[in-house]
Amino acid sequence: MISLSDIPARPAAWITLPMVVLATVLLATPWLLPAIGLYQYLGIEIAIWIIFALGFNLLFGYTGLHSFGHGAYLGIGAYAFGLFQQNVAVSLWGGLLAAMLAAGVAGALVGAFLSHRRGIYYALLTIGFGQIFWFLAMKLHRVTGGEDGLLGIPRPPLTLGPWQVALTDNRALFYFAAALLMLVLVLGWRLANSPFGRVLQAIRQNEIRARFVGYEVWRFKWTVFTLSAMLAGLAGSLLAMAQQSAYPDVMSLHQSGLVVMMVLVGGGLVSFWGPVLGVIFYFVARDVLGGLTETWLLWYGLIFMAMVMLRPEGLAGMLQSLGRRSPRHPQNATPATEAA
Amino acid sequence: MIDLLPHIINGLTLGLLFALIALGFTLIVGVMEVINLAHGSLFALGAYFALTVIGGGWFAGTPFGAWWLSLPLGLRYVLALAIGPALAGLAGMLLELCLRPTYGKPPLYGLLLTFGAALVVEELIRLVWGTGEQNLALPQSINSAFLLNGMIFSSYRFFAAGFSIAAIAAVWLFLERTSTGAVIKAGAHDSEMVRALGYDLAKLRLLVFGFGAGLAGLAGVVMVPIWGLRPHVGVDIVIPAFLIIVIGGVGSFWGAVIAALLVGLAMGITGAYAAAWATMSMYLLLIAVLGFRSRGLLGRKSALEN
Amino acid sequence: MSKTTISRRVLLGGAGAASAVSLFAGPWKHNRVWAQGAAKPLRIGITADASGMYANSGASDKRGMMMAIAEANERGGVLGRKVEYVHIDTETTAATGSRVAERMISREQCGFLVGAVHSGVANAISQVAQKYGVIYLNTNSSSPTEAGQNCHRVKFVFDGNGTNFAKAAVKSAIERFGPDWMLLTNDYVWGHDTAKATKALLAEYGGKVMEEILIPQGTRDFTSALLKVQQRKPGVISAAVGGDDQKAMRQQVVQLKMGDKPAWINSQQDWDDVYGLPIDNLFGVFGTTWYYRLDLPGVADFVKRYQAMYPETAMRSPGNVFYNGYMAVRELLGAVERAGSSNNIAVIKALEGHKISARDRMQHFDATIDAGTHQVQQTIYLATANKAPKEKDDLFEILSQAKADDVRDIDSAKLCKLETYEQTPSFDA
Repeated sequence: MISLSDIPARPAAWITLPMVVLATVLLATPWLLPAIGLYQYLGIEIAIWIIFALGFNLLFGYTGLHSFGHGAYLGIGAYAFGLFQQNVAVSLWGGLLAAMLAAGVAGALVGAFLSHRRGIYYALLTIGFGQIFWFLAMKLHRVTGGEDGLLGIPRPPLTLGPWQVALTDNRALFYFAAALLMLVLVLGWRLANSPFGRVLQAIRQNEIRARFVGYEVWRFKWTVFTLSAMLAGLAGSLLAMAQQSAYPDVMSLHQSGLVVMMVLVGGGLVSFWGPVLGVIFYFVARDVLGGLTETWLLWYGLIFMAMVMLRPEGLAGMLQSLGRRSPRHPQNATPATEAA
Repeated sequence: MIDLLPHIINGLTLGLLFALIALGFTLIVGVMEVINLAHGSLFALGAYFALTVIGGGWFAGTPFGAWWLSLPLGLRYVLALAIGPALAGLAGMLLELCLRPTYGKPPLYGLLLTFGAALVVEELIRLVWGTGEQNLALPQSINSAFLLNGMIFSSYRFFAAGFSIAAIAAVWLFLERTSTGAVIKAGAHDSEMVRALGYDLAKLRLLVFGFGAGLAGLAGVVMVPIWGLRPHVGVDIVIPAFLIIVIGGVGSFWGAVIAALLVGLAMGITGAYAAAWATMSMYLLLIAVLGFRSRGLLGRKSALEN
Repeated sequence: MSKTTISRRVLLGGAGAASAVSLFAGPWKHNRVWAQGAAKPLRIGITADASGMYANSGASDKRGMMMAIAEANERGGVLGRKVEYVHIDTETTAATGSRVAERMISREQCGFLVGAVHSGVANAISQVAQKYGVIYLNTNSSSPTEAGQNCHRVKFVFDGNGTNFAKAAVKSAIERFGPDWMLLTNDYVWGHDTAKATKALLAEYGGKVMEEILIPQGTRDFTSALLKVQQRKPGVISAAVGGDDQKAMRQQVVQLKMGDKPAWINSQQDWDDVYGLPIDNLFGVFGTTWYYRLDLPGVADFVKRYQAMYPETAMRSPGNVFYNGYMAVRELLGAVERAGSSNNIAVIKALEGHKISARDRMQHFDATIDAGTHQVQQTIYLATANKAPKEKDDLFEILSQAKADDVRDIDSAKLCKLETYEQTPSFDA
């Protein structure tokens, strides 16, 4: 099996060909979606979840830390954005910042508790904390609106100096989300290929060895957890804008598990691009297959099980093995016994 | 000031029911080092099979169904108590076969696979039994009320709690007093040694998984009259179950039982003062215990930490 | 309850083959071009829950709408246009409600959205509907906030709300059972708002709240709440617990033989939540907006039409949830006809202030669609278990009926600020 560590050790370029392709596709999306019978709101959802999944995969695929409670930070971001608009000021940048900060602080606190743990204990505790946040979101009615959610969140206009654009239209909001997505993608790519990213991968391969080499492992684990929580918060703030409300159910175990499934099916264990493929596959399948058969989640679950059993490298892994002659994925993509 | 005693009694009965749910879970974790997130789904399957046995389900309209439903409810209930868990056990064995490619890989793979299985089972339940809430009919003899210390209690709750005690004792005796139990326990500590002694490890794992799944199914049949039966019940139940395992220490039999009683008590007592926060007490207990003992109450070092 | 197969996520149906084609043509080709002369059908998006806490009620709600649609098509459609529908499961989940509404409007080309039981889902849908200017009928969610602080120009509320029912019940219950009350409140908006209305009335008429116990949504084990009830010994318990939660609660109360003492007041009792339960599960006094054995003209015929249309359904007699779904769609289509147009503002104006005769409503008194809150002000009934049933389904004994004006929800109306017509985007269905 190939793994993320098979990415060549030379410094990666800031912008790569797949990024240009993705940017082009994103630009054309408002025309592409109706042409295949889908709708703009779906595009917004996909962009949001890709941001969420990219951040999650820094933790899951790169560092090998398995969080099953990550929906909590998505939810915290959404609530923080909404509360900021309703109680502080109607401001896009302020809201985004507040959301990333709130999710980041929550992630930092939980990360401090988690970062000395390993393996299954780590995963179990993330479930526990995820449940706590979910429960709090439902119980603190006065703040969150309880199970009915925080309603009436505005979509503040995008202000850059004197230039102002309304985001009330779904297409405008989509372009804004897509721009943020590209930003996260480029920065995430740089980070994954930086020395920091190398340490994360070393921790995944053998935490004890990484510690003996002299890295303060828990500090790296804490940093990457906090970082991925902040990205989840960013995605959450966009979600609050898309729905114009924030609901507790994105924080449930079920939804937190979905991002794990999307990332794994897409190939997050072997490729930076896994989360992108996985999210697109999931949402398009949900809307297209979900319109044709009521049992589509059953099929999705079966595909997921089959992939865990047979091809944990996911869609990206399949593409890579198809395109092995391509110079971008060179010969060292040989089967390795090491698994994430 | 209210009298706490009834709430403590209520909490203890709840704790015993939790222990029954956690029993199969801890067995599978201890021996196989697999966190079975589909445990709740096997719980649900056991209960749904029991529903069909008691209510006739798809064969209710046939002549056989008519004859079947003319049998006394008590008899059908006893049969459901045997058939429901047995079928859940078979489903568990099927799941074990699916798990085989993940052995030798990091424990994450087992976790992921069983998570997918939980999703699949829930969807299958929707297809076969429908999406709505259903009821498991109980014989009148165990489904009434009695007075205790001036308070009315449900007799079924005490029946279920007593049943849990019996099941816990039976599993403990099986593990401690039978040779198969000894091999299972040995397998938990040193699977290489068990293999070297000539036991078929694959068969042992299949057996343990089937047994653990059967216990989950049994818990389902007993618990569902109290907790309701809906496709999502598996996910609802797996969360307290795994919290209990973590609090008690992964793989520890008595740790799980003690943790279950503690969780039940915490929920019962919180219920007396602030019912809406009862569930939260479970999570606070988790953080409190793990804050002091990182491997839970009676946990020991295991391969799951790698 | 239903034996009709309902796709959990999407079900397309409606007038004849056209919709069947659209199902198989799938999402790839949905922008149908209408041949010259053939009028574009009116498309109604049914946003009923088919899974979750209100799956049963959602199914009834949908059956009500489908019957109204079928009857309109038998009459030759509305303004010469056929009426079609699309159903997508809202899963008793607010976030799903948001997404479903977006999809109904932008992909399924629905001109109207109808249906909700859960107040959170109703709120989510109405926000999206208001954004596009699409008319939304809240059929069965009875939170007072629906026609109060969360009211919208495009939203119309067809059910009586928690305050209406409390007003019908509280005063006489204090006189009969004493001032010591305990509240069991489902821990979400509908429960809280209903409890708030009850508390205000208790304060007004000299009752007192001994304790309020919050019941989290999805509770099945009521042991600890019922132990507390035994310890505090109230004269009356006022329960605002809905859906499957309530079903479980009723069974456990009966099991502990606590149904007769203390007295139980249930603000509203949806038919779907008690249908099929043994009669002793129906203890206490509760409110409803309609009963299938009301001795009024048209009721018997309505029940017959229901039974003819749904011969397979396990629920052999229609209840209040079905009734609301039916009435909402019938009034909507009536308003389109009166307006002579499917333009949203024209239809809204035709609905606002519209009077519906007692005969058309099959209730005791006339009803009005309140122009200020968009709630249908209607007759409210109090009922209890029927000790002398005439047939198997004859579960309720109607105790009294209150005129809309006597139970009007004045406090919510003060909080309702409808968007102006200008703030509401124009939309043609």
